[in-house]
Amino acid sequence: MSRAVVIAGARTPFVRAFAEFVEMDAIALGVAAVQGLLDRTQVPWDQVDSIVWGGVILPSAAPNVGREIALDIGLPASVEAMTVTRACASGLQAITLAIAAIERGEADVVIAGGSDSTSNAELKLPQSFVHKVAPVAMSGKSGPADYFKLLGKISPRRDLIPRAPKIAERTTGEVMGESAEKMAGRNGVGRAEQDVLAARSHHRAAAAIESGRFDEEVVPVTPPSGKTVYRDTIVRGDTSVDKLAKLRPVFAKNGTLTAGNSSTLTDGGAAVLLMSEDKARELGFTPKAAFKSWSYVGVDPADQLLMGPAIAMPEALDKAGLSLDQIDVIDMHEAFAAQVLSILKMLESDAFARARLGRESAVGAVDPAKLNVHGGSVALGHPFGATGARMVMTMANELASTDSRTALLGICAAGGLGAAAVMESVD
Amino acid sequence: MTDRLVDLAANPAARKWMTRLGLPIPMPQKLRRPRGAWSERPLQDRDVMIGGVPDGTLTEILATTLASAGANPWLVDADTVLASFQAAGEAWGRPPHTVGPDEVPEIKPHALVFDATGITDPAQLRSLYDFYKPRLRSLARCGRAVVLGRPPHKASTPAAAAAQRALEGFVRSLGRELGRKGSTAQLITLADGAEERLGAALRFVLSDRSAYISGQPLHLSKTVRSYSDQPLRALAGKVALVTGAARGIGRATAQQLALEGAHVIVLDRPADDGPASEVAAAIGGSLFLVDVTDSDSGTRLAEHIREHHGKLDILVHNAGITRDKTLANMKPELWDLTLDVNLSSVIRMTEQLDGVLNKNARIVCMSSIAGIAGNVGQTNYSGSKAGIIGYVNSVAQRYARRGIAVNAIAPGFIETRLTDAIPVATREVARRLCNLSQGGQPWDIAQAVTFFASPGAAGVCGQTLRVCGGSFVGA
Repeated sequence: MSRAVVIAGARTPFVRAFAEFVEMDAIALGVAAVQGLLDRTQVPWDQVDSIVWGGVILPSAAPNVGREIALDIGLPASVEAMTVTRACASGLQAITLAIAAIERGEADVVIAGGSDSTSNAELKLPQSFVHKVAPVAMSGKSGPADYFKLLGKISPRRDLIPRAPKIAERTTGEVMGESAEKMAGRNGVGRAEQDVLAARSHHRAAAAIESGRFDEEVVPVTPPSGKTVYRDTIVRGDTSVDKLAKLRPVFAKNGTLTAGNSSTLTDGGAAVLLMSEDKARELGFTPKAAFKSWSYVGVDPADQLLMGPAIAMPEALDKAGLSLDQIDVIDMHEAFAAQVLSILKMLESDAFARARLGRESAVGAVDPAKLNVHGGSVALGHPFGATGARMVMTMANELASTDSRTALLGICAAGGLGAAAVMESVD
Repeated sequence: MTDRLVDLAANPAARKWMTRLGLPIPMPQKLRRPRGAWSERPLQDRDVMIGGVPDGTLTEILATTLASAGANPWLVDADTVLASFQAAGEAWGRPPHTVGPDEVPEIKPHALVFDATGITDPAQLRSLYDFYKPRLRSLARCGRAVVLGRPPHKASTPAAAAAQRALEGFVRSLGRELGRKGSTAQLITLADGAEERLGAALRFVLSDRSAYISGQPLHLSKTVRSYSDQPLRALAGKVALVTGAARGIGRATAQQLALEGAHVIVLDRPADDGPASEVAAAIGGSLFLVDVTDSDSGTRLAEHIREHHGKLDILVHNAGITRDKTLANMKPELWDLTLDVNLSSVIRMTEQLDGVLNKNARIVCMSSIAGIAGNVGQTNYSGSKAGIIGYVNSVAQRYARRGIAVNAIAPGFIETRLTDAIPVATREVARRLCNLSQGGQPWDIAQAVTFFASPGAAGVCGQTLRVCGGSFVGA
């Protein structure tokens, strides 16, 4: 068995929802990312075994986004595909599934990643409308009289007003920002530290863009409107803690979460090329990184919705046989600055470790210099399905181009899910 | 079965007008009774104020129990315990708030918990007054006042014994005072070495599951071996037997035990085949029809259990009857039957089932407020139910070595077929004669039985817990 390695990654610029990419759905964004990856790596198309894709807001007419991407690009029909969903961890899930397939010998070359277009979330008519109309519309025997009768049954208010899509927990009805606001209170995370983290995220992301660090990851995308987007558009290098401090809380009256220290609704796609190490050498590719371990966990969404990484990250470290201080760089998804800071506090707490992880002492303190070295979702944006793949490619490039040998990833996700992975450099 | 006064009082407008008109009618508070299985965090987002004269042994377990149950702790003048609450806060995301001795923050706490374990002198009881007095008005509806103490008979000095025994009187009266708002007061005492066992008991007492228990002491000891605390699906994999499970309290108990994961053997008389099998089918349990007064009922049952389930983990002696008549008019068969069903068969069946009782099993018997206070026309019934108190107290010591806890519940006025048969006027009066001014539901008894049936109840040994809404009668 040959281990799986990361060869390269490519992603679209991440842009605010309902802006430049409004006409591109999750499939089109996925096509842009995968096409960019194929162009840049020049991997022979006939060598690609499959696409494993992640997404959250799946187009209902074609939920297997991965397969649609392969067909739209014109990859050989033999390139099979699947699409997975694990909320915000969908992109990472697609990648770890692909790795498992490679390491089990099912495939040698796999493209994995994810994409999401919040701009193209479908408005849903109430299910009551569907239940009334479908039997009449789908029956071959329905005549004009049946349709006439149907009209009388439909209430414009109850049946016709579409339900706006909301990022709310299905079980608790709580909007994610409200859950994060609660977490801030529960873990004693104040407004000031959130704004500091948010400003740092923007500054580091802006520096990465300026320095050209993201050039090997971001591919320019020309939407149907014709105006090419070259860079991430949400990053604000000129923001400051002072500016962020002026924003009003958005999820609670006396809350601490603002538009500035929360990630925003984003359109984008990201793809990573994975191969078995033997195949990579055979085809002449240089591996950037490999996965040592990963872990997915669940916590009660009614308690601390986004704390999953505080459990998943130690679990992934344990599986990798590493301690936190042996990790050189850490990439944690910033759904909200408050959630990142809450998780950092948990990792630092002996009491948390004893009660929740069954360990004698704390996992450890995370050095801010090692955390999200090129910014995170607060600055870059968060196209749900793409974020995991964005993090993997940034960490893979970091491991390949610097002295860093080990990387730790952490992602929180709706439903009380947590995900983590440990990556290592490949010599 | 419905109490119209409770429903009426639940209507804010009606409540206002009845108060305004000064009608001499009690307005019972509708009690909060959550459906379904027990939850991991029964105190989710509820504010709990903590004060006291702690001796320090309970701080850690108190902090952990409250935080892991989801409560937000508010510490009153409690620098000595702050560190424990901060650690628990970090672990469970429930950082403690601190308030000064005279400070009354603008919250409506669900519970006021006072740790009195360090009180060794009556003069120190003043701290009890100082803690509760300014905060009682802010206590939320259906709230809890819980005092934690030490068993008086183990106190090192007579003064300490006096002070600790004073807590029980305090709690009984406080329960009377709080009942109007649906709130209750309870005392939990902890023998040396039983501190850890506070966890499950406190969670039960503070939760809505103890809605109809008021003014009662719960004594925790380490007499019964082996304690474990598991809030969720505490009875998974256990086999339970409930006698008289076709209706009322038995049925509610069988349902709750099943919800917590137990396989329940529903036992009732062959004549109740219909309702009993309905209960068994609804909860995925099994059915065993036998008359408990048959001399070999327990032996046959033991055989059945050995063959189909191996062991029995939970034994609930719920079957009971009333045959009321003044003693002067009572026929001998009424006396005999009542004593046999309610008492003799309990003792006989327990003996016959002894061989299949698993280690760490639980036995719960049904006493009655009538067994404590007595009632006209119930010499037979009261005798049998008082007998249960004596039986449980004695047999518990013998079983403790096997990790088996034996306890009893003494229901007060519970809305069942039994109490429905009471004439309207008598029933209406009887209902109101307790702190909460209302009858209890079979559900309330089921919750207490389920707590006693759980691994976390190991601290309770040989006790009879009254679930009576704080009845005005009885000691």
